[in-house]
Amino acid sequence: MQLGTRRLLDRAFSGLGFISIGLMAASLLVILTPIFVRGFGAFVFQGTIEFRRMQLERFERGDRDEIEAELTTARRARQPVYEMLDAFDTEMGEMGFLERREYEGPREELEDALRELLGPRPEDPVPVMARDQYGATRWDRAREKIDLVLYRTEYDYSDRTRMGVPVSVPRVEDFRGTALEALFDYVELHATEMLRPRWTLYLRFLTDHSIDAHFFGGIWPEVLGTLYLTLGAMIFALPMGVVSAIYLVEYAGEGRLISLLRTFISTLAGVPSIVFGLFGLAFFINTLKITESKSLLAGSLTLATLVLPTVIRASEEAIRSVPTTYREAALSLGASKWRAIVTVILPASLPGILTGVVISMGRAAGETAPIIFTAAVSVGKALDFAKVKFWETLSEATPALPWNIYNLATEHEAVDEIRHVQFGMVFTLVMLVLILNATAIFLRARISKKLRG
Amino acid sequence: MRRGRLLGGSLAALILCAFAGLLTPTLAQEAIVIDGSTTVGPIAKAFAEHYMAAHPEINITVSESGSGNGAKSLINGTCHIADMSRFMKDAEFSAAVKKGVLPVAHVVAVDGIAMIVHRSNPVQNLTLEQTRGIYLGQYTDWSQLGGPNQKIVVVSRDTNSGTYETFEQLVMQKQKMAEGVEYLGSNGAVRQKVQSTPTAIGYVGLGFIDRTVKALTVEGIAPGQETVASGRYPIARPLFMFTDGYPRLGTPLHAFITMHLSLRGQEIIEAIGFVPVTSY
Repeated sequence: MQLGTRRLLDRAFSGLGFISIGLMAASLLVILTPIFVRGFGAFVFQGTIEFRRMQLERFERGDRDEIEAELTTARRARQPVYEMLDAFDTEMGEMGFLERREYEGPREELEDALRELLGPRPEDPVPVMARDQYGATRWDRAREKIDLVLYRTEYDYSDRTRMGVPVSVPRVEDFRGTALEALFDYVELHATEMLRPRWTLYLRFLTDHSIDAHFFGGIWPEVLGTLYLTLGAMIFALPMGVVSAIYLVEYAGEGRLISLLRTFISTLAGVPSIVFGLFGLAFFINTLKITESKSLLAGSLTLATLVLPTVIRASEEAIRSVPTTYREAALSLGASKWRAIVTVILPASLPGILTGVVISMGRAAGETAPIIFTAAVSVGKALDFAKVKFWETLSEATPALPWNIYNLATEHEAVDEIRHVQFGMVFTLVMLVLILNATAIFLRARISKKLRG
Repeated sequence: MRRGRLLGGSLAALILCAFAGLLTPTLAQEAIVIDGSTTVGPIAKAFAEHYMAAHPEINITVSESGSGNGAKSLINGTCHIADMSRFMKDAEFSAAVKKGVLPVAHVVAVDGIAMIVHRSNPVQNLTLEQTRGIYLGQYTDWSQLGGPNQKIVVVSRDTNSGTYETFEQLVMQKQKMAEGVEYLGSNGAVRQKVQSTPTAIGYVGLGFIDRTVKALTVEGIAPGQETVASGRYPIARPLFMFTDGYPRLGTPLHAFITMHLSLRGQEIIEAIGFVPVTSY
């Protein structure tokens, strides 16, 4: 009986384990699938002729003659649309005042929708903002814009006890019996000819600078900023962390002060990251004035303080786990304590230290809060260390992936227009952390193999 | 042994590097640092891009952290231009002067604060009185305002925001907002909240109105560039950029801060949705 109960409990426990692992895998899948699928869409998508025109005009990419020829073909397909609009304008000119007023609103809405789909008319003056200079550059966006041309959403407010119910009204109803009646069928049927979508591999999304606040172009300043910040954080945190760990394990005794210090370090690891961000602003920028404002240096230092506890803890554990026999053997051969540490213990604990570094690097790359006040800006150039003055670059602020993902998702003035850029950024950040980790794991495996034999 | 020396050496070098970093001199000459309002942000970003296109040697960075933070940054000397959607407060002015910073206001554009609701909301118009009532908690249900029987979700900007301060002054008349009001950190966030909550009401700058939300008329006047420019729309305010003193003529900072006076600058402001400052 007792055995039976125990077996039952045992089974229940492992069942619970399986369920929780399954749940975790499922939630991971739910989170990661859209990131990968939609993030991939920033690199591979159906680009329209507007995309190719933008690439040619802004980045001088592609075969000029070929694109211009294609553009001419596309514009020929668009010509009937504009002709119908012009015909309608003439028609409106002949209408009475009241009748004309009725058509003015719908016509303007239609023209706006068409402009978003096809870009400005070729004979119009070039708009000042890049976002207004091109039509839909991606076919998925274009399809939404086509919908906008064909239908308008009205709300039915007749039931006063409830919120209005959306009703989709074909715009053609607004223009029955006018020159524009044929326009809608024409747009629906000839959309592909007007925009000529084609599968496009836009790898340079990663290395292009952004145009007009991320409407077009890529995310290079953000990627570079993230890499430099992570690297900077490690440059500061790694030596300090390892030295502290060596001190704590090898030199410090077991006094009350030391155990207090250990408690502090553990507590520091649990401090919320926004606190580090504010500390960085107050200490590095406002008090020490290492730079006059937000900068790569201040951000790196702040991130370094954030990951320092993790690095110290991991290094401490790694050094502690080196067998005492190594130490004793080294000392018995006449090595000094310092020499034993540097030549025997540190190399043997390197894999463990690297693990800590891996974890910290991933954390530093993905943290948003510490860099809000110390390094990150929503618009800025890619950092360029090839400039004459190294320190000047260090004291410049930079966009960075985690902060700009947040910025684009909440603060940007046209959030819905640039969803693909947001997903592209998230995808890149996840991949960046994955690659960082994979490299370090690989490195660690190689080192420990080498050490073993 | 060699490895040990190498390791020790590189450690020492890294630490040296770190401390050399601490002695770094100040901000780069070829940089303009801009911080502040999320409402003015789009203008600053667009100006920055246009300026950098013509002057590739200058790096302009723009952060959008709210008008209050912009003022703080200018006072602390951590930015060249503070974007603000309200005027500086007395306390900020005196703090600035105490630190030797003399704030000069440049009005770059005029903006109206639009009351936005979900597109399914049947309410079309609010009076200023009703708007104040909603934020004071006197109206808690849309049925009190001619809508359906649903509780109002009231969304406001956070207190660091210049848009909040303007709203507090022009609409609330300095009365305190009700307990249940939800505070959000940017114009974009308010719009997204309203976009996704059928019963919500919020307020944003003109440049943030789009198809996804419905801008209500206030006292029968629709918010727009024309109604704001003519002074008919009741909740309007100028948008500022503050500098420490008037920048020296011929400097990039001067060129940047006077960009709103150029034809191109005004076109940009209009394209983003704000009202350029001219003789109307």
